[in-house]
Amino acid sequence: MTHCTMDDLLALQANEASGSARAHLAECAACREELDRLYQRAAQLKALPALTPPRDRWPAIRRAVVAARSRRVWRMRFSGLAAAAALAGLALLWPIGLRRSYGDEIAKAKQQSAVLDSTLQEYDPDSRVVSGQSAALAAQIEDQIAAIDGELVRLSAAQADGAAPDLAKLWRQRVDLMQKLLNVRVTRAAYVGL
Amino acid sequence: MTIALAVPDIVVARARAGDVDALEALYRAFETPVYTLARRILRNAEDAEDVLQETFLEVVKSIAQYRGEGHLWGWIRQIAASKALMKIRREQVRATEELDDEGTGRHGTPVGLAIDLERAFLRLSETSRAVVWLHDVEGFTHEEIAERMGKTVSFSKSQLARAHARLRTMLDTGEEQR
Repeated sequence: MTHCTMDDLLALQANEASGSARAHLAECAACREELDRLYQRAAQLKALPALTPPRDRWPAIRRAVVAARSRRVWRMRFSGLAAAAALAGLALLWPIGLRRSYGDEIAKAKQQSAVLDSTLQEYDPDSRVVSGQSAALAAQIEDQIAAIDGELVRLSAAQADGAAPDLAKLWRQRVDLMQKLLNVRVTRAAYVGL
Repeated sequence: MTIALAVPDIVVARARAGDVDALEALYRAFETPVYTLARRILRNAEDAEDVLQETFLEVVKSIAQYRGEGHLWGWIRQIAASKALMKIRREQVRATEELDDEGTGRHGTPVGLAIDLERAFLRLSETSRAVVWLHDVEGFTHEEIAERMGKTVSFSKSQLARAHARLRTMLDTGEEQR
């Protein structure tokens, strides 16, 4: 047999070598030396010093954790809002003439909001790298959305006459903010090259 | 590389419950080994930092599912390796790597100067470095490497053999550029 190839040596290292390779090794000092050098390289690699990250990434991770929790809170509020709106029977509150136009506008905004929310979920922002600036901006937008959700819940629960214009306005604002939030997420991902 | 990686069970339990201070304790315990793994594999330091951050975002997200089976570092290491390999795949620098494997990379020094193993290792492509580091240092099997790279076991084995042959040549001849 000719001298062991690197494949043979790696197989010998892994105790997976052929009988002929093992037999050759027993007779060949040069190949035993090569195998020893292979072991030494692995040992030297293991002995290389640990490397310390040049910057502390924990603050960014912490911001992402806090932002994710904030998102979960307002998603729960949003779910509660949808249920409350259904139970309240909002359509009954409005004058016939305005009911259809505001109702259509609100329905459309709700649909847009749901699509944006679904898109954001699919985008899985919790698993993305977060820069401090974008995380802060996203958190700010999420707080604004949470405030709108709270106002929507309050108006829905009050079942006040004449609430439809305010509801429609709030839903429009919610859609605008959701679009901004999605833009922040996508811009941030593009920034880090994802 | 010898690092103490023991984390008290109570810290892990608190982290699983979402305690931010406990999550930070995990980060502090594992940031160096995770960064070391990523930096040894990836050519770019910022990419390695991104892998560090992505790894811990995944740890935070999935720690509740960690059942304590096996060493925590083993679990985190699997995540870190996957993130680093994903980074290599994303950047798709195979063409550049081929050039680097032929010894025409960017970090050259004059021909004939002896180089040590660490510098020779840096001369390998990211794919080769990933295979060598994960196999020889972190103890991954070829099956595990192949699965995470989306390649075959034969690919992993041939990359390892090729990388060691390249290291051997560089160390023997003091070659860094040819």
